[in-house]
Amino acid sequence: MPRRREPRPAPALELKTARLAGIQIILNSAEHAALDTHITTLFAATPDFFGGEPAVFECARLPADAAPPDWAWLVQELKSRGLNPFAVQNASAALAAAAVQAGLLVLNAAAAAAAPVAVAAAPEPAAAPAPQMASAAPTRIIDKPLRSGQRVYAAGGDIVVLAAVNPGAEVIADGSIHVYAPLKGRALAGARGDTSARIFTTHLEAELVSIAGVYRTFDTALDAAVAGKPAQIRLADASQIIIDPL
Amino acid sequence: MATIITITSGKGGVGKTTTSASIASGLAMRGFKTAVIDFDVGLRNLDLIMGCERRVVYDFVNVIQGDANLHQALIKDKNTENLFVLPASQTRDKDALTEEGVEKVLKELEHQGFDYIVCDSPAGIEHGAVMALTFADEAIVVTNPEVSSVRDSDRILGIIQSKSRRAIEGREPVKEHLLVTRYSPKRAVEGEMLTYTDIQELLRIPLLGVIPESEAVLHASNQGIPAILQKDTPVSDAYLDAIGRFLGETHPLRFVDYDKPGLLKRLFGGK
Repeated sequence: MPRRREPRPAPALELKTARLAGIQIILNSAEHAALDTHITTLFAATPDFFGGEPAVFECARLPADAAPPDWAWLVQELKSRGLNPFAVQNASAALAAAAVQAGLLVLNAAAAAAAPVAVAAAPEPAAAPAPQMASAAPTRIIDKPLRSGQRVYAAGGDIVVLAAVNPGAEVIADGSIHVYAPLKGRALAGARGDTSARIFTTHLEAELVSIAGVYRTFDTALDAAVAGKPAQIRLADASQIIIDPL
Repeated sequence: MATIITITSGKGGVGKTTTSASIASGLAMRGFKTAVIDFDVGLRNLDLIMGCERRVVYDFVNVIQGDANLHQALIKDKNTENLFVLPASQTRDKDALTEEGVEKVLKELEHQGFDYIVCDSPAGIEHGAVMALTFADEAIVVTNPEVSSVRDSDRILGIIQSKSRRAIEGREPVKEHLLVTRYSPKRAVEGEMLTYTDIQELLRIPLLGVIPESEAVLHASNQGIPAILQKDTPVSDAYLDAIGRFLGETHPLRFVDYDKPGLLKRLFGGK
């Protein structure tokens, strides 16, 4: 009989970081009447569109000296339409202070430090730990070979490919591209112009690489230091493709 | 339950029809009731390779369109028991193949107790080729040891993975097999051709067999006898091995090594 390990009991509580998907409510105005009419018209046709998703007020577009909106009223209006606002971000000190009074969290650290510490009096907000709102789309993972003529696109995020990208196949991502197998096709990172996107592969043999629209083909042989080897491809000065061995 | 095997390649002239004839004959020789269908409407060839061109009265398209019943169109093979050929129409084009029509014929074959239905795909990736792979349970991808053939095979594998019924309905995917044909160990070793390991590395599907380049294939075609029936030739032996592997047996690869030519090579076979 093989010896069995005593199963360890699971702890009652575990902490892990999480990136949660949610809705951004971008405020272009803090004026009560304007918000009221727009909320009414926006949700008139599709009152059941949202199903209790968490949401964050994005205040970056509000003028710095804007008077705070009636946060409590705004939260109530949106809650009745299936959205659960629980925080503000990029809020000025005045906006943040009013938000805290209304029971909202303040997400960005700078504004939070400036906000008065009147938190104790505030009622418990809906979401317990302040989750970091996911700003990027989840990473797309491909575990089957990409064959000639196939094309995958990771909108808004990174892509990880665990199988070969064959000649004639195309991997496109708005973020970075990771290929843990031979990259023999085309790889286009930063498809929407992100110049900081990069391409990584364990075996570089690509037909074409592109970052933010700057591309390079390999009609002439690749440098021996990277050909068929692990390599990283990035953009320098927003205009030049650099290939480094990994 | 009939198993539908599609023989496909993307590229033309790599040996799809030769392989279809040999695989179908090989399965029938093992006692399975087998039908082989020519999907190359307009460029009918399978009947020539099978040596039944003079017995074609009705064809696949006639059956699809209801002008003839399946029984009238199926030609009983004269070389092998249990084997039936459904020829293509030479006078139509591939648009005559409708998805409903093809499905109906395949269902009817299954109903008649066929164990295997071998679909000989036309070249290309257009309608005819897609119709041939739509209902596949297994696919044998025929590839020559050269880059263009390998790339086309790669492409057709992608199409199998996206357009087959199994893929669309999210069932267990089509089982893929690689069959390398027209392989010359000498030229592969000398670097004039890709080696079968190069091909497999790129396509990454299980290797069903390697069929050596041989004049026996041309002789077989001209005589209208499937190459697998050319007894004691390397081509026939390689196809017989492939049939065995298809049915789950283990056979070492033969005819893939190039040593100094000698008598012993034939006796000892591969590795």
